[in-house]
Parts: sequence; C-alpha cells; structure tokens
Amino acid sequence: MGLLSIIRKIKRKEKEMRILMVGLDNSGKTTIVLRINGEDTSVISPTLGFNIKTINYQKYTLNIWDVGGQRTIRSYWRNYFEQTDGLVWVVDSSDVRRLDDCKMELHNILKEERLSGASLLILANKQDIHGALTAEEIAKVLNLDAMDKTRHWKITGCSAYTGEGLLEGFDWLVQDIAARIYVLD
Amino acid sequence: MLHYLARVVQIQHTLSPKSPLRDASVFGALLKKHESMLRRLSDLHQSRIQQSASLKFYSDTKSFLNRFAESRNSIENELDRCSRASDPESRDRLKSDLEKVSAAIADLEKLVAESSYFLPAYEVRSSLDSISQLKESLDVVNAKLLPRKRFAFKNKVVNRDSNNVLGSVVNAVSESGIGVASNEVLVEKPSFRVCDSPGFRNKEGEVLVERFDGEVNGDFTLSDLRSCEVRLIGRFRALFIHRLRDCKVFVGPVLGSILIEEVEGCLFMLASHQIRIHHARESDLYLRVRSRPIIEDSNGVRFAPYRLCYEGIERDLKDSGLDEETGNWENVDDFRWLRAVQSPNWSVLPEEERIPMVNV
Ligand SMILES: Nc1nc2c(ncn2[C@@H]2O[C@H](COP(=O)(O)OP(=O)(O)O)[C@@H](O)[C@H]2O)c(=O)[nH]1
Ligand SMILES: [Mg+2]
Repeated sequence: MGLLSIIRKIKRKEKEMRILMVGLDNSGKTTIVLRINGEDTSVISPTLGFNIKTINYQKYTLNIWDVGGQRTIRSYWRNYFEQTDGLVWVVDSSDVRRLDDCKMELHNILKEERLSGASLLILANKQDIHGALTAEEIAKVLNLDAMDKTRHWKITGCSAYTGEGLLEGFDWLVQDIAARIYVLD
Repeated sequence: MLHYLARVVQIQHTLSPKSPLRDASVFGALLKKHESMLRRLSDLHQSRIQQSASLKFYSDTKSFLNRFAESRNSIENELDRCSRASDPESRDRLKSDLEKVSAAIADLEKLVAESSYFLPAYEVRSSLDSISQLKESLDVVNAKLLPRKRFAFKNKVVNRDSNNVLGSVVNAVSESGIGVASNEVLVEKPSFRVCDSPGFRNKEGEVLVERFDGEVNGDFTLSDLRSCEVRLIGRFRALFIHRLRDCKVFVGPVLGSILIEEVEGCLFMLASHQIRIHHARESDLYLRVRSRPIIEDSNGVRFAPYRLCYEGIERDLKDSGLDEETGNWENVDDFRWLRAVQSPNWSVLPEEERIPMVNV
C-alpha cells in the first residue's frame, strides 16, 4: 500500500513552510521580516510588489512572502494564497483611524477558501509607540472572538523596533503549522 | 510496516500511558484514528499536487527558465538599442519604447510571482535579482535619455479648482475591486470604541502649535483641518495626516513614518524615515527622507528639499538620524504608475517657485 510512500513524500518536504505576511501598508511587515532575519532595518522603502525571504527558523525553512500593502496591489494578494501554511496579519497598533479598514481587509482575506487551513498569527505591532492599543484592545476592535472556531489563531503584541514579542509570535506559528502538517515526525 | 506499528504504539503511549497494549478495542480505535490521519495527509498532499498541476502557468521549472531567459534577453536587447539611439527619428519614439520595456519588466515580475509556487526558492530569488537589475538598467537609460525636466512642466494640466478629493477616493476603492460588495461581516458597527491619540482635529483658519520636549515615543495626528497653519516642533515617533485642505504644515523630525491621506492645496515641510502619500492633490512637499517616498492615487504633487529652521533643529535632526541630505526627496515612487518611467502625477518643484527657509 502507498502509506509509506506518502510518509516519505511528506517527510521530504517536511522542513519547509510557506508564510504570507499581510496587513495594511505601513503596519511594519517588511521591518518584521528583516528583524527576524537579523538584517539592518534602518532604511526601508515601502514595498513595491513583493519580497521573498528564506529564513532558517529552528529546524524549519520558512519561505516568507512579504507583499506590498498598497491598494494598487492588494488585488494581487490572491496570487500568493495557494499552499500558504501560515498567515501573519500585521496591525499598526497606533493607527487607530484605519482600524476599521484593517478589520475589513482581515475578514475579507479570511473568507478565502484557499486560506481556510492556514494558521493565523495576528501581530499587534508598534507596541513601543506611546499610546498604541494593546493586543487585547486590538483583538476587541477586530472582533477576533467571532472568528470561525476551526481556525487556529493567536494574537501577540510586538514591536519590530525593539524586537519584543516577535519570537513569541513566530514560535507559536511555526509550532502550530508543524503540529498540523508534520504529525508524523 | 514494522515502522508503522511502532509509531502507533508510541502514539498510544503518549495518549494513555496506563492502558495496556493488550486492550484490543483501544488499539483498534487508535489504528482507525491513525489511518484516518494518514488519509487526511494523503488527501492534503494530493490536493496540493492537483492544485499545482491545475495552475495554468508553466508548472515546470525548465520551461519557466527558458521563458524567463527569452524575455530577459529581449528586454536587454531593447534597452541596449534604446541607449544607442542617435538619429532624431528613433529618439522621438524613445519614450514609448521605454514604456514598453517597463511594461515588459512588469510582466516578467508577474510571471515570477505566478510561477513561484512550483519554483525552487533559489530560482525565485535569482529571477527577482535579475528583475531588479533590469529595473536599474532601465533607470539608467531613462535618466540618460529622458531627463526628468522634459516632463516636469507638462504636469500642470489638472484644474486646481476641482476639489473632489473624496470623490477620487471612492473611485479608487471600487477600482481596486476589493472591499465593496463582499463585506457583510463588516457592515456592523465596531463593537468597541477607542479613544483618539494626541493631535489637532476639526479646525478652520487657526494657527496650531505643538512642542515635543521629553517624550519622543508618541504619535500625533492631524485630521480634518482647513486653512490652518500647523507647527510641530521637536521630535516624535509617527505622524498621521488625514483630510487637510489649504493648510501649511511644518514639522520637525519624525523618527518613524508619516502617512498622508486625502489632502489638497497644502504645503508640507516634513522630515522622516518613511513617507507615504495617498490621495493627494495639488500640494507641495518639502521633504527630508531616509527611504524613497511613495505616492499613490495622487496628482499634481510637487517635491523639493526640506528647509525648516527652529532653535535646536540641527540636534533634533541628528538625534533622529536625519541630519544627512540623502537626496531621496526627489526619488519618488508612484505606485499607480509603471516604475522607472517618469510619472505624470508628480514633479520636482522648480527652484524659482520654492519658498525660502522657514523659521518657526
Ligand atoms: N515605532 C515603530 N515603528 C515601526 C515598527 N515597525 C515598523 N515601524 C515603522 O513603520 C514604518 C512602516 O514599516 P514597513 O515595514 O515599511 O511597513 P509595511 O508597509 O507593512 O512593510 C517604517 O517607518 C518602520 O520604521 C515598530 O514596531 N515600532
Ligand atoms: Mg513593506
């Protein structure tokens, strides 16, 4: 029977995960990816199109897609949905005015069939800014409790500026994906 | 198969360490569970295979690479031809030729994006590198053959009195094809109200001044201002600007980013690490910026270097990493425009129209 060959096939790809970074522009997606990868974050231009980073994280290889958040290209996000294992939704916790926009875009993306199996990490970024909303407040505004019960999700406060909270968030994401996809390890 | 059984035993062990291995019913249940798990995994794997097979794209790395190399060569040849164009006739066609090159590069980028799910990571990265090299070459050819000045003066076609900032926003939103029809979830009002951050809001015809002394980690908001003059003196972390009309805004160094949306007929004097401008019309921006400023859905915006003065600004700029003039005030990216060909939506503010150094 084919079971063993399936196991082998899964094992071969086992170390790779695809992660999609999304969120409104200016929320800090590119900064977060660079910070996790230990790169210089002092000069970052707004992302036109997309960047792909391959990062070794614990024993996994993360293929991280950092997609530009500008309206012009938001409709291209769909191109990146196929085979996404994890979704990171980044929020600028100091940008109170656009939270409605943020909520709307998040709920839109979660309706995507092709993303229904993906683990969801919400990063309430820019916690270093005085007056930023806390992760709990962001969770309320985004109405996360109303989310589909089958979705695996977590929200964490973080700052790409100080690095605080990033590892906690990504550790959860990677573990959650691993538990789902590589049960046989 | 031995391997397989060993795993089942292991699983049983972790799930209920006390139950004896002889317990057939537990064992049977576990076997079933494990089988269904394998089936799920197999399904997942199958659906992944099918998904990638059903992609209309070139699901085969080799043919992708061939196609990529072909386009890249033809783009390079075309750039080369353009850069050597000397007779007047071909020079006239340069602009449209270079626009075609720019479009071809955009297509190539899209091809990579679409193919990236079956391409090895290495191929994706090296393709993206080639694309940015092509963009750079195009920039160089553009700068050489089509100096910005030639376009800078054609930009003033927009009529200053049509004051429909909001109208253009609505259009842009529905144009993007997202977020209009499919938003049932969001129609409900937010269940939770948050208090506003520090800022100036809903003012008309006033002079508004704020000094930032100790606290540099705060953000600040300017929204719904009309015919005001705003002075923000000192340094702080982030600035949000929303719905301003006929205002003059002078701002000290901002350590993070500035986000500008829906402004018209304004003058901005800003220094920051990042500046994003959406839905701006007929406004002049005097900038000092570490990265490339971007505009989107904007027109009639003009750029010049930062010229602000107040006591202690030198030190504030230095402490914010903004003492150096990077020249980025004129490296504007228009996200609504094919890159590398001068956008008609912005221009460099001619020297003679610039205001002198401002002391606030
Ligand atoms: N204060 C602060 N600023 C941040 C943080 N993360 C990002 N930024 C700033 O926010 C701006 C937008 O960041 P960027 O990564 O380009 O956002 P993106 O559009 O989501 O990729 C930049 O000026 C960053 O320096 C953070 O945690 N704290
Ligand atoms: Mg970015």
